Amino acid sequence: MSSLFGALSIATGALAAEQGAMDATTNNVANANTPGYSRLVPVLVESDPIVLGSVTYGEGVTLQKLQSVRDPILQLSIDQATQEQGQLNTYVSAMKQAQVQFTSSGSDIATEISNFFSSVNQLSADPTSIPLRQGVLAAAGNLATIFNNTSASLTQQQTTADQSVTQTVQQVNQLTGQIATLNTQISQLQGVGQDASAFEDQRDVAIGQLSSLIGVSSIKSDNSLTLTTANGAPLVVDGQSFALTTQTNAAGFQDVYAQGVDITSKLTSGQLAGLIQVRDQTLPGLVSNLDTLASGLANALNTANAKGFDLYGNPGGNIFTAPSASGQGYAATMAVAITDPELIAASSDGSQGSNGNVAVLAAVQNADVAGGQTPTDYYSSVVANVGNDVSNGSAELTSTQLALTQLQDQLGSVSGVSLDEEASNMVQYQRAYDAAAEVVTTVNDMLYTTINMGTLTG
Amino acid sequence: MSSIRVNPFPMPDLLAALEQLQQQTANTTLELATGSSINKPSDNPAGAAEVIRLNAESSQADSFQSSIGGINGQISTADSTLSTVVSTLQTALSLGVEAAGGTLSTAQLADIATQLTGIQSQLLSLANTSYQGQYIFAGTKTAQPFVLDPTQESGVGYKGNTDTNNVTIGAGYQVQVNLPGSQVFGLGGATGDVFQAISDLITSVQNNTGIPGAVTEIDTALNYVTSQRTFYDDGLNQTKSQQTYLNSQSLSLSQQLNTATAANFATLASQLETEQTAQTATLEAIGKTPQESLFDYLK
Repeated sequence: MSSLFGALSIATGALAAEQGAMDATTNNVANANTPGYSRLVPVLVESDPIVLGSVTYGEGVTLQKLQSVRDPILQLSIDQATQEQGQLNTYVSAMKQAQVQFTSSGSDIATEISNFFSSVNQLSADPTSIPLRQGVLAAAGNLATIFNNTSASLTQQQTTADQSVTQTVQQVNQLTGQIATLNTQISQLQGVGQDASAFEDQRDVAIGQLSSLIGVSSIKSDNSLTLTTANGAPLVVDGQSFALTTQTNAAGFQDVYAQGVDITSKLTSGQLAGLIQVRDQTLPGLVSNLDTLASGLANALNTANAKGFDLYGNPGGNIFTAPSASGQGYAATMAVAITDPELIAASSDGSQGSNGNVAVLAAVQNADVAGGQTPTDYYSSVVANVGNDVSNGSAELTSTQLALTQLQDQLGSVSGVSLDEEASNMVQYQRAYDAAAEVVTTVNDMLYTTINMGTLTG
Repeated sequence: MSSIRVNPFPMPDLLAALEQLQQQTANTTLELATGSSINKPSDNPAGAAEVIRLNAESSQADSFQSSIGGINGQISTADSTLSTVVSTLQTALSLGVEAAGGTLSTAQLADIATQLTGIQSQLLSLANTSYQGQYIFAGTKTAQPFVLDPTQESGVGYKGNTDTNNVTIGAGYQVQVNLPGSQVFGLGGATGDVFQAISDLITSVQNNTGIPGAVTEIDTALNYVTSQRTFYDDGLNQTKSQQTYLNSQSLSLSQQLNTATAANFATLASQLETEQTAQTATLEAIGKTPQESLFDYLK
């Protein structure tokens, strides 16, 4: 507009726009270290011009909005990587803990098996010796104890994982509640055309936290967001959240339910999936391996003992308490069945001095007693499996973490606040503000000149 | 203005890298400290399984060694006992030869008979030798094997049995550790019954009749016991050679164990060096991360 007042109005608009842009910088600098914060950029647009005759007059600048810079696809990839990481992290740390039970020490299962058979071998040189017989019983006791302890600590770990399942479900519910509330706030603001970026940032953070706990899929439309579990059970639909519940299952552990449907086995990522994998698969698998070994050994030794005669001349009885047919739970309950050392059946012919059955007992060491393998071979393959689980899991975890770091790097480069950039923007806005103010001063001077035109000529 | 933005927050990356380096350094240090490259199964799952098997084999070899130690005493006791039996029978033999000369008086013959009776009880006592509370010529029985028994022609009855004991001294390798006393002393045998021979000799000398025949019997018994003794000599030889084998096996197992687990100190030392350098570099990178921004220059 070609009037001075028009110029004044353009300059004032510019002052307001630069001030608004400065607001974006101020907010960015203030939130430079806020987790999940996406930097704001002012969207400045040229005002529609006015055409008077053949001349087109610019109408200055308008601050359309302050927009936060985000990359939804990248955010989605981060959430997915976070889910994977959550699952692996939980799994690896639990397996590392379990691995301790299978680490060679002076009193691990392998050592106690060897010790037991050594004590049996010693008996062959002097089958009537009570101290040697007591040695066999003591070694049998140690063997039973190490099976009991190893099994118990694995079971204890299972219980701990189960407690964590309940806690994690509570955390999930808390977060889905938060996200639903944020959804409502966002859609309300967006409904009236206002900027909801602060709430969107908070929601991104909450979804990130949720992703580390449970695998979710998110469906975003204009103003709404739907979160479901990997198998489609809704967690959040717009402003409503659906809480997960837990129910005690036959094993005494908590199963996870979404709206009445058991989704325990459907969970594939996130901490919850890791916990369930450890609780329902890995640890029970190890306990069952121990059961197989312990019951196989006990059965074989009991059978071997029954082939001979004890010091009283009677046929040998059980050395260890008899395992059930399936052997399930035996490692936890294995115990020596006899306290009288004379009941060890060393004799093959009923004479006290005979050692013929010692060889039968000792032969169990090299017999296929568990899974078609000798006790030592079976145990060593269990150890190798545990080691493989930990080392493969750790490798996967490392690569997932690397991927996550790279994605976060990328997101940082898109949405992160660079103080250098903000400083340079600040200078830019300040200079533009200064200039617009200068325009106001100049126009003011010009108006003054115009107003006083008569006075000057008069 | 369009430029490639970089992540303005490099710190988390650097810290993660530092954490990883610290973890690696901790592992290297642990290997150096323990001298073992396998400190937990995940360090080398197959190696950890191998270690368990080698340890079990090694412990089995040790237990065979200790079994050998246990039976060696028993076998040598039997061997030296039989050696004494042989020399005792030799004494009896020379007494018999003396009596058979036909030049001795009745009183002298009575003396010899008395000496021979002494030898008889000495032989009985030798046949009842025990090792660590266990009679070594009783078969697998624990009761005293040889007792005076007037119902027997030889005057001595056998209460042991004819069973024997074997002891495992190697994988699938058993050695028989005893012979039944009845066999060792030729009880009831057509030839070589030690107690029958000595009893016959005593009777002959006492009656001064048929002495040469009785002397021949003693000679046969002596040869018989000597032949039985070779069983124990053989047993001692077997255990001795097995001991040598087990020693070399133990050595080889510990070498294998060493190969499987031994930390390579040279590699570890250079690894530690590299890790420490990397760690220092990362720390320096963190330290040098610009602490200032353009804001500092806008004054």
